Amino acid sequence: MEVRSGVNVADTQQSQKQHFHVLAVDDSLTERKILERLLRESSCKVTCVDSGDKALEYLRLLDGQESDSTASSSSTQSSQQEELKVHLIMTDYSMPGMNGYDLLKRVKGSSWKDIPVVVMSSENVPSRIRKCLEEGAEEFLLKPLQLTDVNKLQPHLLKSLVHSNKDISSCTDNDNDNIIDITMINNNKVISKRRAVSPEPLETITKMKGLAVV
Amino acid sequence: MERNQMLRQVAVMRQSFFDQGFLDEQFVQLEELQDDANPNFVEEVVTLYYRDSSRQILNIDQALERNPLDFNKLDTYMHQFKGSSTSIGAKKVKAECTQFREYCKAGNGEGCMRTFQQVKKEYAILKRKLEAYFQQVRVQSGPSETACRPRN
Repeated sequence: MEVRSGVNVADTQQSQKQHFHVLAVDDSLTERKILERLLRESSCKVTCVDSGDKALEYLRLLDGQESDSTASSSSTQSSQQEELKVHLIMTDYSMPGMNGYDLLKRVKGSSWKDIPVVVMSSENVPSRIRKCLEEGAEEFLLKPLQLTDVNKLQPHLLKSLVHSNKDISSCTDNDNDNIIDITMINNNKVISKRRAVSPEPLETITKMKGLAVV
Repeated sequence: MERNQMLRQVAVMRQSFFDQGFLDEQFVQLEELQDDANPNFVEEVVTLYYRDSSRQILNIDQALERNPLDFNKLDTYMHQFKGSSTSIGAKKVKAECTQFREYCKAGNGEGCMRTFQQVKKEYAILKRKLEAYFQQVRVQSGPSETACRPRN
C-alpha cells in the first residue's frame, strides 16, 4: 500500500470512518431524513439544516458571527469555540428564501471556499446545472438520490479530508500522482461540467475509489 | 405454517404495490437502507412523509381558494410536495403532481383544482395501503427472532 506523508492508507481509512462531516441542507423533512441515512450509510457524520440561512449560521458566516478564523483547517479559534470541520456541503437547489445557488455563492466567497459543495435538484434544467458548476459546485445530483449517487462523492470527501489535513505534497509516487491529478481535474471547470452530465466517472476517479472508505 | 402464510401475505401485498403502480423503485431504495441498525427505517420515513405532506396539502388547498389564483405559488407548493412524494416512491401521487404542474404552467385553474382532487385521492389510497402493510409487517416480525427483510 502507498504511504502518504507518513500516514499509511489503512490508518487513513480507519480514521476516515469518523472524520467525514457533511452539512446537508434541504427544506424537506422527509428528504433530510433520507439524505442523512444515505450519508451515514457511507460512514459520514451528518448535520442537517432546513435552510440556507441556517447553513450559513452553522458555518458562522452570518453577519455578526466570527468569519475568517473559522475555516476547517485553521486552529486559531477562540477558546470557547470548538474547531468546526465540514468536509462537504450538500444542498437542495429549490428552497424558500435562499436557494442552493445563492448558498453556493456565499460559501465560495467565504473562508469555506475550498470545501466541496454539491447541489441537488429534482429538476433537470441544463442552465441551472451549468450555473452551479460554473459557480464552483463539484457535482450536480438529480433527485431522488440513491446510494450510488452518494458513493460518487467519496473522492470529494477524501480530497477534502486530505486538504484539511494539509496533506497534499508533491510526490513522485505513482499513486499520489492520481490524487494530484484529481485536484487539478476538479479545478478545471470544463472537465467538472462534463462529469456532471455523463454518469461515468473519470478513470482516475475510479482508480481512487479503490482507496476510499466503503 | 401460519407464520409462512403471514410472510407470504406481506410479500404478496408488497408486490401488488409495484405491480399496480402505487410504488416505484425509490421505495426499494428505502428498503435497502433498512437494516439491523435501522430496523424501521421505511416505516419511519413514510410516517414522516405523511406528517410533513399534510401541511403541504393544506397550503395548496388554501392557495386554490384564492381569487385570482397565484400559479407561481401553487407551482412552488406542488414542487415541494412532489419532491417528498417522489422520495418515498409514491408513483401515482407523483404522476398526478406532474399533471398539476402542467396545469399551473398553462394557467389552467380548473385543471389544477380537478387534478388536485386526484392528488388527494391517490395520496389517501396509498396511505391506507401502506398503513395496512406496515401493520402486517409488524405482526409478522413480532414473535420471530429474525425479521425478514423483503427482497424484490
